[in-house]
Amino acid sequence: MAGEVLDASAPARARQGTTWLTRALRESIVTWVGLAFFLVIALFPIAVMAVTSFKQGGDLIDLKTPPLWFHRAPTFSHYTYLFQQTKFLTWAGNTIVISFFTVVITLILAVPAAYALARLHFPNADNFGIGIFLTYLVPPALLFLPLTIILSRYVNLIDTKWALVVVYPTFTTPFCVWLLMGFFKTIPVEVEEAARVDGCSRLQAILRVVLPLSIPGLLTVAIFAFTLGMQEYIYALTFISNSLEKPVTIGVTSDLIRGDEYFWGELMAGALLAGIPVAILYNFFLDHFVEGISQGAIK
Amino acid sequence: MRRLLRGEAAFGYLLMAPALIYLGLLLLYPLLLSIWFSLTDASTGQPFGSWVGLKNFTDLWSNETFRLALRNSFIFTFGSEIGKAILGTVLAFLLLRRFHGKKVLRALLVLPWTVPVALTTLGWLLLFDPTFNMLNRITGAIGIGYHPSWLGEPVPAMIAIMMANIWRGFPFSAIILLAGLTSVPPEILESAALDGAGFLRRFHYIIVPMIAPILFIGLLFDLVFSFTDLSVVYLLTRGGPENTTHILPELAYQNGIQGGDLAQGAAISLFMLPVFVIACVIMLRILRRREI
Repeated sequence: MAGEVLDASAPARARQGTTWLTRALRESIVTWVGLAFFLVIALFPIAVMAVTSFKQGGDLIDLKTPPLWFHRAPTFSHYTYLFQQTKFLTWAGNTIVISFFTVVITLILAVPAAYALARLHFPNADNFGIGIFLTYLVPPALLFLPLTIILSRYVNLIDTKWALVVVYPTFTTPFCVWLLMGFFKTIPVEVEEAARVDGCSRLQAILRVVLPLSIPGLLTVAIFAFTLGMQEYIYALTFISNSLEKPVTIGVTSDLIRGDEYFWGELMAGALLAGIPVAILYNFFLDHFVEGISQGAIK
Repeated sequence: MRRLLRGEAAFGYLLMAPALIYLGLLLLYPLLLSIWFSLTDASTGQPFGSWVGLKNFTDLWSNETFRLALRNSFIFTFGSEIGKAILGTVLAFLLLRRFHGKKVLRALLVLPWTVPVALTTLGWLLLFDPTFNMLNRITGAIGIGYHPSWLGEPVPAMIAIMMANIWRGFPFSAIILLAGLTSVPPEILESAALDGAGFLRRFHYIIVPMIAPILFIGLLFDLVFSFTDLSVVYLLTRGGPENTTHILPELAYQNGIQGGDLAQGAAISLFMLPVFVIACVIMLRILRRREI
């Protein structure tokens, strides 16, 4: 493992076999202390959110008690309020609809492009590939103003969730093309050639042989596009002000803050309910995400 | 052979066409439109205003709030990158080691990155809230004596938005570095170690050159995303107190969408274009070198 080799003490350890155990012990203490430190940093705000989401109103405003624990019985009331008195379920539904259609459009755009770039020889193929990768860097902050005008003047989708469905594939497609290129390259050309010898046309070979073999890759890409759609903030904030059309990130952050009044319990409950599933999904493709970036860099 | 090649080329272009057309219409065209807006007096009511040349840019340049926002954008981005680099590097070396429950721990450690930023920023908003004063009560309890009004004073507010941004981003830095580190073939390091190269020498002469491309790409991604993201600042300070924490994307949103001054909003956002272009050029060089 690279981990052992990178370890500063590896050669020293080989030299002084006798102190090996104490060294190992010392190292594992350092590791765990370090990890504990990072766990506290990473989880601290999330823990505060979780505790707050179950706190009774009186407990939250009681400034004399330590803020990280319950001094009155925990309550589910913020969660029930969220479901009964706000449009949380509508927002969550919108997010799912938006992300679903983002995935569909992304796949329709990215699969053929990635196949062409991975397998076919045509002039400027490399330039197209790099060009598409670079478009992933185009920041939404440069585009939200003109897109607002395009979506309201030309297609009249502004203030509906479909505006997001149209725009999100612009940032999911570039990276998905790059990821899929990697997957397609791992499928041996011979498999495809064999299918063509057996009488398939190129298109049939793609549909019947290549795509079924790349299902893990397609799933990764789908999860990636889905979670990106669930996380997006700038476009959703800019395009949608109608409460019924909002995705959950915007619904929670704008409708539960009214002027100066913050519904802290509900805010935190909503943020966690919406955020944790995204985090779990995201974890599924994290390794592939890294692979996609490093493939662009190293291979 | 030649006909076959031509057939393949046509098929290739056909397969590329949907993606290219889509990206052309919704990325390239808006980008050009944005440049047009910035040279006119467009407003959201009158998006195709009349030509005013560089007036928007000269107006901005003489506007103090804008100049502060421009400066803040760089402070915010570079401050955040430094924080993320330090925390991310330490975390990456910790995650290189073998220990039980690594998968679960990693999933927990990357939560700041995987939960949508708009939602976790609400947690920071509560921590910084002047009424509840949560952060100060907690740091007070463990003996830290710095207790400012986090979002109410300019410097603490700037530190606050950077803290939230660093917190959100350090797991990504760690993951990218980790990916680079694990891609270094152990045999090379082993033989270097046998030849007597110490950790620092191995790090400097083998690890850094080998993982440089992925590190650069990761850093460029992060730099561009940090520089152009408005969610943390928008949710925490909205540019306050007294216009001291504006950053470019958030100022462009407030002027362009909320204020309806499309031309000025577009001009502000175009100040981000050079950073994007430079990042692209560097990225291109890395990608080109990979092919040689």
